[in-house]
Formats: sequence, structure tokens, C-alpha cells
Amino acid sequence: MLQIIADGLIIGSVISLGAIGLSLTLSIVRFSNFSHGELLGWGGYLTLAALAMFTAVQAGLATPLGPFSFGWALLGALAVGAGLTALLALVLDTLLFKRLRKQGAITLVIASFGAALALRNLLLFWQGGVPQYYSQNLQIALPILPRSVWGGLRVTPDQLFVLVLTLVTVTALHLFLRHSTLGRSMRATAINPNLARVAGIDPERVLRATWIIGGLLAAVAGVFAGITVQLRPTMGVDLLLPLFAAVILGGIGSVWGAVLGGFIVGLAESASVSIVGAEYRAAAAFAVLILILLVRPTGLFGEKN
Amino acid sequence: MNAPGATSTLPALAIENLEAGYEPGLLIVRNASLQVQQGEIVAILGPNGAGKSTLVKAAVGLVPISGGRICLYGQDITRVPAHRMVFEGLAFVPQTENVFVNLSIAENLELAAALVKADRRERVPPIYAMFPDLERQRKLPAGQLSGGQRQMLAVARALIARPRVLILDEPSAGLSPKLVAQVFDKLREVRASGVTVLLVEQNVKAALALADRAAVLVEGRERIVGSSAELLGDERIAALYLGRHTGKQAIKEAG
Repeated sequence: MLQIIADGLIIGSVISLGAIGLSLTLSIVRFSNFSHGELLGWGGYLTLAALAMFTAVQAGLATPLGPFSFGWALLGALAVGAGLTALLALVLDTLLFKRLRKQGAITLVIASFGAALALRNLLLFWQGGVPQYYSQNLQIALPILPRSVWGGLRVTPDQLFVLVLTLVTVTALHLFLRHSTLGRSMRATAINPNLARVAGIDPERVLRATWIIGGLLAAVAGVFAGITVQLRPTMGVDLLLPLFAAVILGGIGSVWGAVLGGFIVGLAESASVSIVGAEYRAAAAFAVLILILLVRPTGLFGEKN
Repeated sequence: MNAPGATSTLPALAIENLEAGYEPGLLIVRNASLQVQQGEIVAILGPNGAGKSTLVKAAVGLVPISGGRICLYGQDITRVPAHRMVFEGLAFVPQTENVFVNLSIAENLELAAALVKADRRERVPPIYAMFPDLERQRKLPAGQLSGGQRQMLAVARALIARPRVLILDEPSAGLSPKLVAQVFDKLREVRASGVTVLLVEQNVKAALALADRAAVLVEGRERIVGSSAELLGDERIAALYLGRHTGKQAIKEAG
């Protein structure tokens, strides 16, 4: 029981971070970006490439930090990989989405399907199809609670790291959106783009910020997926539907909605693995999605519009 | 930038032979001209679909302009993008959705100050002094405000940038006569503080009581321009707003 919840929270961390970016794009750039999942994949692999370079230059950086499976090299590589993923999102916008923005949301959605295919296959071409890992070190799960208490609980230090860093990231983003001028401008643009313009908000600046934040969070999510599971070139498309489920579940445009939606989808996936079997894992997210939308059609935090 | 003395000979806002529309080849505003002098309140009147809203939206950069020009104190601002207008001294209050409903009152005002790179501690208190109701409810999301208070916040938000000219699109829309009177009283205060006001109105009686001058727009161009007193006595206006076809006819013939 407790183990299911713990596993669900770890899966949920990855989905939450990915879903925030998707939700921001939906409410600010105003289209469903089906290539967002690929940013998670690219974030994971760009970090892997940066990690290889860091360890080639200074092998000592790869020495595991305390109980974790990774060293400073991975944290540095994560910073580089996240930056490059944000850049990738900006380039994608400049080359593709920006040119099509006047054509309307449907054109953008279709274009994002194409972008997703291109990005995924480029990744496959670059890295091959064999799953990869950031570290070959095996981690022993720490027994937190014995089997006699609610079935027991075992967690690896890496999983705790992922969970804590997710909460830190989400809190930082919350403070940014709540208190900074750029964050408030993003919220203002999401709710009312025309008023935002006459109030003095440069729409292009807000769009750039949205792509950068979406790219950074996607990379962190991709790296977390790599740390807790593995890196695969198809991880983006595999995560895409859970990401959309989380966004819709939480209510489009709401950061906390995306986070909560992500954790609910994660919990549903982890519960389904032990209750009905792993093959139905993907269906679990949608069962929960349908149930919640029947009760609250706007999602948990959605605003009536 | 609020020193009118140096530039008072030039009209605060001059719209010259303006042509504008959302799509190329589909003009909604045709050859419209209008001058607003420093310190005036001017109303743009006209029947539904006359292009009143489109005219002011074009003036602030929200609708593409295909001909003519707009000058603010003699400076051509025709090609200035919408998000730079506040820096030129031109503020706009849209008709609906004119506050950020997901931000609190305080956040709406603080954001407006931050966007013009002003210190909120300097800009927000004078606005609260002018709108005490807003200060009392400053933590409330703007979406929870009543129609009248929302309109007040919309005006307050626009004033934070300390504009030289304030343009409002139907500030009386959806408000009871009592609330219209309150909002219009506030606009008199705004003018008294040195801001020139241009507003679009459907509510002819209230608008002519507020404005110094008015222009009537029919089918995208101005047809009658005069002082409020002149327009109040004009039969064509009465006919137009009693919904008689002859009113529109009369104005067309006159124009």
C-alpha cells in the first residue's frame, strides 16, 4: 500500500514537471504542443551527452555523492542539458511555430505532431534504440518501514532526491509566477492577451519565457525519468499521454493543477501495476481522467470560461 | 511627461483620415478624422456596428491600420506596437475583460507599475487614494469584483502608467445608471488631474452630459462633430437613437 503511493509519487514527479510546461504552452502560446514530450527525451539525452563530457574532462566529478548513484558531474550536466533543451524549444518556436502562429491553433497542433516525429527520430539516429543509464552503480533501497506496517516501504536515495527536487522546483516556479514581473506578465497574457498588450507587456518576450521555462522543466523531468527508470528515445512519446492527462485533470493553465494532476496520474499508474497488471498502466491514467472530468469538466483547478 | 504647457498648441490626440480593419481589404473604419485637445473629454457616439470600437482599438495598436495616421501631441504613433503605447503616454481601457481576473487588485496595479518601470510604492498609493474601495479589497482576485468595481479597477490600472491621454471603450457597458454616474464622476476627476479623455459610448445621454465635445460615427466615418450642447439639441441624433431609419438617413445626407 505505502509502496504503491511512494512509487506513484516518483512517477508523478516526472509527469508533474513535464505537465507544467505543457500547461503553460497551452494557456500562453495557445495550442496543444504534441512535441512537448520529445523535450523530455532530448533533455534526458542532452544531459547524458554533457555527463560524458564532464567525466571525460574530470573523472573525479563522477564519484557518487553520499548515498546517491550520481556525482557532481550529473548535476552540472543537468544544468547544461536543461539550458540546451530550453534553447531547443526556442529554436523550434523560431523555425516552426512562430511562422504558423497566424494560421491558428489547428495548424500549430499538426505542426507539433510533425516536430515530435522529427525530434524523436533524430534522437534515435543520434543515440540508438538501446536504453541507457546515467550511472551503472546499483542502489540499495533503504527500508523506511518494515513489511508489517501497511506492506512496508523501501525507497532509494535517488528517488528521495527526485521527489525533493521536484517540490523545490515547483515552489520556485510558483514564487516566480506569483511575485516577479515576468511571471505576473505570463499569467496576465494567459488570461487576457489583448489587455496584456495594451498594459505594456511585450507578447514575444512572454512567449520566449514560456518556451524557456517549459524546456527547462521538461529537461529536469527527462533527467528524473533517466535517474529513476532509464533513458529511451521513445520516452517522450510514452510520457506524452500521461502529460496531457495530468494537464486536463488539473485544469489547463494552472501550475498547481498540473502538479496535482501529475501526482494523481502517477498514483493511478502505480496502483494499476499492482492491482490489474503493468500492461494496463497507460489505461489507468485515462480511467482517472474520465472519472474526474465527469465530476469537474474544467479539471480540478480549471477556471470556468 | 505630464507637462502640457510646452505642447498645448498641438492637439493631444489627432486621428487623421484613418482607415482600419481586422482583415486586409475589409475596412471597418473609413477615412475617420478626429481631434482631441489637451484637457478635453470627447465622446465618440454612433449606432451599433458603426466602427467606434474598431476606431479606438486601431488608435492604440490593436487593429491593423491601412491608411491615415495618429498623432499624440504632434508625434506620429501610427506604427507604434500596442505594447509600447503606454510608454508614449497613451492608455486604453477595453470594453470587456478589462482587468486581469486571475490577479488580485493589488497585483493588477503593481504589475501595471512594474511594466512601465515605475516604483509601485510611488505609483500605487495615489491610485488607492483616488479609489478607496479598491484599497479595502486589494487582496481580492479581480474576477470576484462587481461590474462597477471592476470598471473602477480598469480605469485605475490604466492610470498607473500616468498617461497623457486615456481612451475608454464603452465604460458604461453593463452598468446600472447609478454606477454609470459613479464611473463618469471618476472620469471627471481624471480629467481634472490633467489627463485628456476620449471615450466610445452607446449611452448618448450620459456621454453628452460628461463630454465637452462629441463626434458621431456612422459606417466607419465621422458624420457630426460638435459640442455636447449642440449635439443634445440635434434632431438627427435624437432620430438616430430612437432607432428611426430616418436618423441614419438624415446623417448620411448631412455627411
